[in-house]
Amino acid sequence: MTVYSPTRRAVLAAGAAGAASTALLTPGAHASPAATADRRAFAHGVASGDPLPTGVVLWTRVTPSSAATPGSGRGPRVEVRWEVAEDAAFRRVVRRGRAVTGPWRDHTVKVDVGGLRPARWYWYRFTWQGRTSRVGRTRTAPAADAEPGRLRWGVVSCANLQAGWFSAYRHLAARDDLDLVVHLGDYLYEYAPGEYGEGQENTDVRPHVPAREIVSLADYRQRHAQYKTDPDLADLHARLPFVVTWDDHESTNDAWRGGAENHQPDEGDWRRRRARAHRAYDEWMPARMSATADLGDGTRLFRRLRFGRLAELSMLDLRTYRDQQVATPLVDGEVSDPDRTITGRQQLDWLKDSLRPSRPQWKLVGNPVMIAPVTFASLPAELVDNVNDVAGLLPRDGSPYNVDQWDGYTDDRRELFAHIRDRGVRDVVFLTGDIHSGWACELPYDAGTYPVPVDGETSAGVELVCTSVTSNNLKDITGTPPGTTSRGVETAIKADNLHVKYLDFDSHGFSVLDITSRRVQMDWWVISSRTDRRAGVEWSTSWRTRAGTATLEQADAPVGGR
Amino acid sequence: MSAPGASRRTVLQAGAGVVLSTAAMSAPAAAQVAARRGSRRRRAYVVVLDGCRPAEIDGELGGDLMPTVRRLRSAGRTFPRARSLPVMETIPNHTMMMTGVRPDRSGVPANAVYDRELGETRTLDRPGDMRADTVLQRCRRQGLTSGTVLSKEYLFGIFGTRATHRWEPEPLVPVSEHAPDVFTMDATLAMIDAHDPDLVFVNLGDIDRVGHSDLTGTSLQVARRAALASADTQVSRLVTALEDSGRWRDSLLVVLADHSMDWSRPDRSVSLSPVLAEDPFLADRVVVGQNGGADLVYWTGPARDREQAVRRIRRLALATDGVLAAHDRRRAASWLRLGPEAGDVVVYSKAGWRFSDPSPGSNPLPGNHGHPTTSPIPFFLSGGHPDVGRGSSSALATTVDVAPTVARFLGLRGAPRGGWDGVPRL
Repeated sequence: MTVYSPTRRAVLAAGAAGAASTALLTPGAHASPAATADRRAFAHGVASGDPLPTGVVLWTRVTPSSAATPGSGRGPRVEVRWEVAEDAAFRRVVRRGRAVTGPWRDHTVKVDVGGLRPARWYWYRFTWQGRTSRVGRTRTAPAADAEPGRLRWGVVSCANLQAGWFSAYRHLAARDDLDLVVHLGDYLYEYAPGEYGEGQENTDVRPHVPAREIVSLADYRQRHAQYKTDPDLADLHARLPFVVTWDDHESTNDAWRGGAENHQPDEGDWRRRRARAHRAYDEWMPARMSATADLGDGTRLFRRLRFGRLAELSMLDLRTYRDQQVATPLVDGEVSDPDRTITGRQQLDWLKDSLRPSRPQWKLVGNPVMIAPVTFASLPAELVDNVNDVAGLLPRDGSPYNVDQWDGYTDDRRELFAHIRDRGVRDVVFLTGDIHSGWACELPYDAGTYPVPVDGETSAGVELVCTSVTSNNLKDITGTPPGTTSRGVETAIKADNLHVKYLDFDSHGFSVLDITSRRVQMDWWVISSRTDRRAGVEWSTSWRTRAGTATLEQADAPVGGR
Repeated sequence: MSAPGASRRTVLQAGAGVVLSTAAMSAPAAAQVAARRGSRRRRAYVVVLDGCRPAEIDGELGGDLMPTVRRLRSAGRTFPRARSLPVMETIPNHTMMMTGVRPDRSGVPANAVYDRELGETRTLDRPGDMRADTVLQRCRRQGLTSGTVLSKEYLFGIFGTRATHRWEPEPLVPVSEHAPDVFTMDATLAMIDAHDPDLVFVNLGDIDRVGHSDLTGTSLQVARRAALASADTQVSRLVTALEDSGRWRDSLLVVLADHSMDWSRPDRSVSLSPVLAEDPFLADRVVVGQNGGADLVYWTGPARDREQAVRRIRRLALATDGVLAAHDRRRAASWLRLGPEAGDVVVYSKAGWRFSDPSPGSNPLPGNHGHPTTSPIPFFLSGGHPDVGRGSSSALATTVDVAPTVARFLGLRGAPRGGWDGVPRL
């Protein structure tokens, strides 16, 4: 997404007004499994991801010598042991093995463990020369033909370490009722200290490492390492499996297949830079790329994960294959050019295959940028720049569309929605991040006439957008209290876009997605402050879509407890 | 399998002007029925809301038009993934509901087919068109009774005298050739009151019929809304009658649609016949069976030329605006499950389009079905019997599941030779 580096005067410390929020959830009382871990040898914690019915990816990094710092390219080749047990005390170890790592892969360890049982909790740990990592917990997916009564996931995006503390991750880790975490991208940011920090003055709540914009492979490795040492993120990784995709900041801002807004000629060849970013991602993230946990065998990140007959999650990569964003959409009309793509041909065909009626009931799409059409035609001109700074919602030439999102590639969206309608596909839910604000939208076949039916049909599905963990939102940019400037913008956007049912430009936090056969519900939880390490969290709102309806309604309570 | 003969049937004036005909039972069967009357019985009612879209139950058109149906769905076991099966038309899906087998085994793939023996296209409305056994007959053979109350003339035709008791739809609305729902429910209640069958199969046709012809536009849908509300009232009458008579606690009520509905603007029609006629290889050697959103194309030339003909038909069809897909029926046999009666190429329209063959004026109806967009259907089990269950299932329920579900509930023995194609959903 588009971000700028505003240098306007500070008006208000962001989040201060929000600090009065009631903390309904506080950090968990569960015992930390890290108590006996060797924090030097396994300084970057443990993680798991991409659960299958009988397998899951396990991850760690070992630091075998003081010289073997992330990105250093130094340190010995070592063998690490791993084990998976049915209990936290490892009395019932069910799988164990060894993995070799070394400086060629930044001493990361990534194992695709098989032979597990479906829908089970497992505990895992790594050992090197008698030193043991903290214990991680993970969970396998339900069997392919199972009918789980419910699934409950955390949903997050946009965690800028310089802009605040990751309290959203802490509060997610404190819950006892989640199966996994979906991360929709901008897991880390590329900027140097002083660039794109917290609020109007770009204050670095904590500075990035290395202290420069990351460009080299070593840079990307070090930045990944820094994020992995954040205690809130580390705890969440140790507690739940992740399913991740990247957006732009895992490489650099507004990336497209041939370049990026934040890639300059003096930073070298774009494709080489992107390859380094992808290499570091493959090393440091618990995800299968090109269907394996192996390194160097491909960087295809779009993939499907099935959860019985109840749901399937299709994670998209909307940066690697897309054409360049349109610069002057009102002039050349390129946003609707059928030759331009956000997904690439292969991924769009794959996504249409994901959205077949024979696939599991809820067709969930992990979608890094918004797909709902949004027009800003009547937004007051003086607010355009502010909205831009948050989310790149408007190009500064006054175009009423955000061309970094699907709105900038309308032919791909048209083809996808036509597929949904032609095939009678039901229960499609896009899970989206990127724009540092919470949205709940229906997906009109014709936004201009919505909700009047087009030949009897109105909506292709719904889109649920989680807000940012820390990255700046509208109130942070304008420096106005929550519920003031933003409320006017929200009202104007909803008035122009009747399919937008909910919009919150002011909050940071996380979402919880609850999936049953009858309905899918998202709860939005907001933290009280980004700058307070011990920020509380409170429930904001909930919206749900009932099976078969492709519409939204407000729910009156969040799901579950902690 | 041929339908049982209609030779020995008695006619009963069942009140409110309803005329029912009843097959004469053999003495042993009649004895079994009589014996069962004294014990606690199970009763199954299958009610088809013809052409109902699932979201219409949830108020898709605004307002709470179907409160009874929605309440029954909430109280029972629902299948939100449920689908109609190819071809998404009335006759084949009603056939699947009662036979439990797909069209390649029943011989009923569509409403309209080309009859190669007759040399003309016709509606599959003859008892002999259905070549598979039904649960209606299975009931009779095992000492239970069954009844059909089908609002459409062609359904009455094809199901013939398979059920123990049947109602001939009347009065018929001109053109649509169906009986309004209020009369259909009158007949249903009269049949239950007079004969109390163990299995009753009901088709309520209003939603479909006004869906086809609603000229208030695809946006206002005034008549469609009225039909939804009316159908809900009829279902409510059935439930009330079952409750008042004490039957509800022993009952399974299956509510579903045979297909959904799609609407097209007047200019969104596809006529394949003229397109195929212009091809020198195909001219005068293809026939089209038009089924709303699906065209069945039959090659009538020499068998040795079939492969080439199919290739040309598919290519020409796919190059025509509004066509979604063109399947070689034989190559797609494993999943289309359509037999030779469905012709050589099955062509589907896109959403918002319809076929009009043989000429552009042949099908003026704005509402159509038969194409994939019309596959989603409501499908739920309700009723007072404790076996019904509750909740929502992600299983891919289909119309062919009805027969094995009813068979299991009623305790019917056996299965069709080759097994059920459907799955019991209890």
